[in-house]
Amino acid sequence: MRSYLFRRLIGMIVVIFLVLTIAFVLVRLAPGDPAALMLGPDATPAEVAALRVRLGLDQPIVVQYVTFLANALRGDLGQSLFFNQPVTQVLADRAEPTVFLAIFSLLVALVIATPIGILAAYRRGSVLDQGSITSAMLAAAVPSFLTGLIFQRYLATDLGWFPASGYGGADAGFAERMRHLFLPAITLGITNSALILRFTRASMLEILGEDYVRTARAKGMSERRVVLRHALKNAGIPIITVVGLTFALLVSGAVVTERVFNLPGMGNLVVNAVLRRDYPVIQGTLIVVAALYVLVNLLTDLLYLVVDKRVKY
Amino acid sequence: MNLRATCIASAALLALVAAGPVAAQTKVDVALIGDADTFDPMVSTKDVVSIVTQHFLETLYTFDKNWQVVPLLAADMPKVSEDGTTYTMPLRQGVTFHDGSSMDSADVVASLNRWKDVASRGKAIAGQISSIEATSPTEITIKLSEPYAPLTTLLAFSNSAAVIYPQEIIAPEIKQPIGTGPYKLQAYQPDQYTQLVRFDGYTQPGAAAGEREQIPDEIRFIPVPDPNTRVEGLLSGQFDYADSLSTEVFDRIEASDVAEPVLLQAFGWPTFQVNHKKGLMTDLNIRRAVQAALPYDDMLFAAFGNEKFFQTDGAYYPEGWPWHTEEGTELYNQNDPEKAAEYLKAAGYDGKPLRILTSRQYEFHYQMAEVARMALEMAGFKVELDVVDWATLAQNRDNPDLWDIYITHSPFLPEPTLTSSLSSTSREGWANPEKEEILKRFTHESDPEARKAIYAELQRKIYDDVGMIKIGNFSAVQGKSRALSGVTPSPWPAFWNASKKQ
Repeated sequence: MRSYLFRRLIGMIVVIFLVLTIAFVLVRLAPGDPAALMLGPDATPAEVAALRVRLGLDQPIVVQYVTFLANALRGDLGQSLFFNQPVTQVLADRAEPTVFLAIFSLLVALVIATPIGILAAYRRGSVLDQGSITSAMLAAAVPSFLTGLIFQRYLATDLGWFPASGYGGADAGFAERMRHLFLPAITLGITNSALILRFTRASMLEILGEDYVRTARAKGMSERRVVLRHALKNAGIPIITVVGLTFALLVSGAVVTERVFNLPGMGNLVVNAVLRRDYPVIQGTLIVVAALYVLVNLLTDLLYLVVDKRVKY
Repeated sequence: MNLRATCIASAALLALVAAGPVAAQTKVDVALIGDADTFDPMVSTKDVVSIVTQHFLETLYTFDKNWQVVPLLAADMPKVSEDGTTYTMPLRQGVTFHDGSSMDSADVVASLNRWKDVASRGKAIAGQISSIEATSPTEITIKLSEPYAPLTTLLAFSNSAAVIYPQEIIAPEIKQPIGTGPYKLQAYQPDQYTQLVRFDGYTQPGAAAGEREQIPDEIRFIPVPDPNTRVEGLLSGQFDYADSLSTEVFDRIEASDVAEPVLLQAFGWPTFQVNHKKGLMTDLNIRRAVQAALPYDDMLFAAFGNEKFFQTDGAYYPEGWPWHTEEGTELYNQNDPEKAAEYLKAAGYDGKPLRILTSRQYEFHYQMAEVARMALEMAGFKVELDVVDWATLAQNRDNPDLWDIYITHSPFLPEPTLTSSLSSTSREGWANPEKEEILKRFTHESDPEARKAIYAELQRKIYDDVGMIKIGNFSAVQGKSRALSGVTPSPWPAFWNASKKQ
């Protein structure tokens, strides 16, 4: 177990280093100059050049890379060119809406997908099963921005039940901030429920056909106990895998949904950073996202140990 | 957690979530296209920076509703010497900065010297400024090496603005601006809001500048980059004002009980900027071929869809502006491919692609480019449309090797010389000796009627030499809550007189 964890840790470091390097190179390969964007349309080329010097963008790329690596090792991801703040602070400010959105939308997805997936598998071929497959296909096919726009227009603008956008502003308390997350969470939850539903149904179908399920029924065990205690527990590993990956995806920034609802999260941040060519923020976000992916994957693997005692590392 | 406990917890959470916000004091929420990336308007020419900072930073002069220059921090209009080279500017007394200190001539001199060093518009005339001196605690004197009539207009403009800071904070970079405006900067949360609160020590300017009543307790500028989100926020009552809306939503907003559209007629003008430094467009016959071939009316229709939102107008200032003239406009909207072909023949055009640099950041730029491409190809041009994101365009247009035409737009500016592409040192590099001579006479002349006549010559020259290509006028759409009043429609709307009906 220890050596497994050690190997995974080394793997994590290698992945983050590679992401860090690729991110550094890619953002600089893209055309576009942050200095020209910051100064506005009437800035002269000389003013743009002067700002590039001040921002350190005139340095050779190797010098910039070495400085970046050395700083990153010390936990310093640099200074945002646009906000004039440390990238770590910019990221920390954006973490809350993204993390809460990820948690709420995952809960919504699980509440929708798990019971329907189990029931659909249990009543294979029934109207419920066919209906659930069709609904899942629809949920997966309709892009989240469209679902978001529909919710925004009808539930926020026309009915006024929820705020149309934002995260509540300066004086918003926790409840007000969560109220602003309601529509984005439902939007994302519906989209992500499709995959979880399909995985739950498929896993349950496979397990319900196993010999030990038949044996449990033959021993006179109630259907509820057979399905929930025996089948669901053993169908758990693929479901946990997909839930873990969905969570990592959500935490890394639900770009489109955050954009539609103007949430000040990491997804919105990275889009704005790309448009502004805010190199340190793009790099910092990619590093955090890579680290999150690797960490969630590790946690998912460790969760297998809890769900299935046969799993050994 | 058992089922009952789960139900109770869920109900509590739902109740918490459904509870509305607590009522606040008078606050105006304004949705803008993005954050002001600096609160120092000297170093930026972005409209969003001007809109926000004009509430807490002030200039010596400003514009009245007819775009005439009037005093703001100055006590009166300047006394100008007969030779037009010395401007004596009296300052208002009793003006207080947000840090509690009083404004005097030392603050003004230090600020104007910084403006001359760091602001693009200040640097443009720095060579003509011999000295800026405090001639008394309430008076400054600017001496010029040659007359420059637009000086007060430059000092009044909120973009690359000559704002007045306390002398103590003057530095090449100002991170915490302190001004004299009716509101002061309270908080800034990047990508969330900029919060301004009323400045209790504010003293009103003279009547000409108009009273700044400080009606709202608080003004909040919220960056909302997605135009649809700005519309939904406006229509749901979340925002009191929304900037830069699509013309397509005009009817929807008009039908709403909550909000109404604000139409800024003849807000600005899209242009095809011409590369005079390198490439095809350095040849006058090629420039004239482009000018003759373009179907300006079709381009405007493709871009804006409804005549409510555009005017096919060749004058560089629309009717109603003091600078309006029809001089040279017979060369506008010719839509004549045969004539264009003749110019191409005269130029010995060899089929080298005409590179048009544009972006979809502003969809109407791209739509105009597509129509232009078809018309130019009909006239015999080979056209290469280079469609990039705005960041790339902003970089590539500084490299004259990469484009022949790039597309941009501008609001109508109160003084023609504020249009940077008229200058030979601009990125477009239009250096025509006759134009330079007209421009020199124009900046030296102080009589308004004589200046108008010279401007007509300048417009004629723009058409004859194809210095740039104006496509037409377009209107901008903003939106406001029906409960909001006191905001004068402008490219840079101000909210100090905004009030809300309960």
